[in-house]
Amino acid sequence: MSALATLEAGLLLGLYALLAGIWGVFWALAQLRKTPMYGRLAIAAYGLHVLAALTIILSTPLGFGWKSLIVVSSFAFLATPPMTWRFLRHTHQNGQAET
Amino acid sequence: MYRSQTLAVKYFSAAIALFGVMTITGLIAAYYYINPDFLFGILPFSIAKILHINTLVIWLLMGFMGSIYWFLPGELGRETAGIWAAEILFYVFCAAVAVVAVVLIVFQYGGSNEAALWLINQGRKYVEAPRWAALGIVVIMVVFAYNVIGTAIAARKTTGIITVLMIDLIPLILLYLIAFPAISNMSADLFWWWWLVHLWVEATWEVLIGCIMALALMQLLGTSRRIVETWLYIEVALVLGTGILGLGHHYFWIGTPSYWLTIGGFFSALEPLPLLGMVVHAVYDAGAQHMKTTNRPALYWMMAEAFGNFIGAGVWGFMITLPQVNLYAHGTQWTVSHGHFAFWGAYSCGVISVLYLVLQRTRNLAIVDGSLWKWSFAALNLGLVGMTGALLVSGFVQAFVERAIGGSTLDAFISGQENAWFIDGMVARFLLAIVFTAGYVVLVWDVLTLGRRAPAVAAAAAAQ
Repeated sequence: MSALATLEAGLLLGLYALLAGIWGVFWALAQLRKTPMYGRLAIAAYGLHVLAALTIILSTPLGFGWKSLIVVSSFAFLATPPMTWRFLRHTHQNGQAET
Repeated sequence: MYRSQTLAVKYFSAAIALFGVMTITGLIAAYYYINPDFLFGILPFSIAKILHINTLVIWLLMGFMGSIYWFLPGELGRETAGIWAAEILFYVFCAAVAVVAVVLIVFQYGGSNEAALWLINQGRKYVEAPRWAALGIVVIMVVFAYNVIGTAIAARKTTGIITVLMIDLIPLILLYLIAFPAISNMSADLFWWWWLVHLWVEATWEVLIGCIMALALMQLLGTSRRIVETWLYIEVALVLGTGILGLGHHYFWIGTPSYWLTIGGFFSALEPLPLLGMVVHAVYDAGAQHMKTTNRPALYWMMAEAFGNFIGAGVWGFMITLPQVNLYAHGTQWTVSHGHFAFWGAYSCGVISVLYLVLQRTRNLAIVDGSLWKWSFAALNLGLVGMTGALLVSGFVQAFVERAIGGSTLDAFISGQENAWFIDGMVARFLLAIVFTAGYVVLVWDVLTLGRRAPAVAAAAAAQ
């Protein structure tokens, strides 16, 4: 990898993970507050995350395997907040029922 | 209050004092980058760095032990087994830390012989304590494990959290034994040394803090045991699943087989996923409580732990974890930036959160709040985030100028060190370290005076 590509790839990877985190936080806030604004912000954050993923795939010299990992991770990041939330509600409802 | 909980308070006091030593030595180490002649002939950079990193390890370890000694009797309904031994060893531990610090400051280094290895410095990065002190740490950890396991046996009961804790203590102790061998082959030595460093920080400590946070959640938010235990199992499985083989992301430039780089890169690239789950969990818990609690600092520090762990370990780690980037970023200020943020998020915030829980009980406070904790929370987090940002800029310069363009030659190293962006980054880091230090001072002031300042918060009946 060239010098500049190293920096670009590193920054893009950080941005990619950060946007996934922002997506997760806004998604969780949207569920909590039932405010459409948070839902829209969550979608925007995930959209930017996908954009970061596409930039990584199209413009960095990472190998095919690593680019595939980025694609799969994006789907996993998309699914993690809803799955976690559903499981949290499930465990809390069961926990409250027991107490 | 159980004797175990009195001991916990002592451990927290020692931990906070060492947090201060870590902060001051870190400040000194940061200043060397601006003025390399500072304390010339008195205290070299290497000693300041050793003290900074070793006190980091010890204050967190003491914080973990304090947390366990605090929660254990309540969890198992009896006094901690062998508490007398733990009480004696606390003083031995403190004395040993003080002696090692004095030896490192006064003698600094010895010859290449057995005497120096036993009495001055074992010579292994991050576990530099001389061999006698390292043996002492093993004894302390074995007694600590006995305290936990013996209490469960004596109580004839265990819980999911305590079972996970007991299992975790075994590798925690065994891995520390790697600190002892003096392998003459550098590659073999570093291969095993990383087992100690990585599998403590990204495996056994993660489980330990998971257990502590589970116990803290039950006390702070009254979350049911079933819920915290279910999540503990899931998070431990995910963190261990991605963390153990992430070991390979350290195996650069030390002669290990190259397949480790791919394995390490792949598994550590998965690490942000469970951390994102923890962030969602934190938002859920905060929302369920409407951020209302009798102990706001404990709740805010717990939230900071979830977010700091995701950003510090997850985002900062993801930047450098793929081998193509890690190849250049490895060992630069970029990784230092990641290390600072990850340790802060994953561990320090959690220990401070438990500290406030302990203070609420020991001072009989119905409500813990006020303005001081907010100032310390803001200054510590702002200082830390600022420091990591500044280190990131300097790290970029090193990876770019020194490594990628210059090819890691001595000339390239000098070019990197003289680069204006690198220097500015180090100056900014020092200034923000001062902000962090101010946050620490306010934290100590708050901890010392909490519940003793007017107007007195209504006293509540002490639990236990």
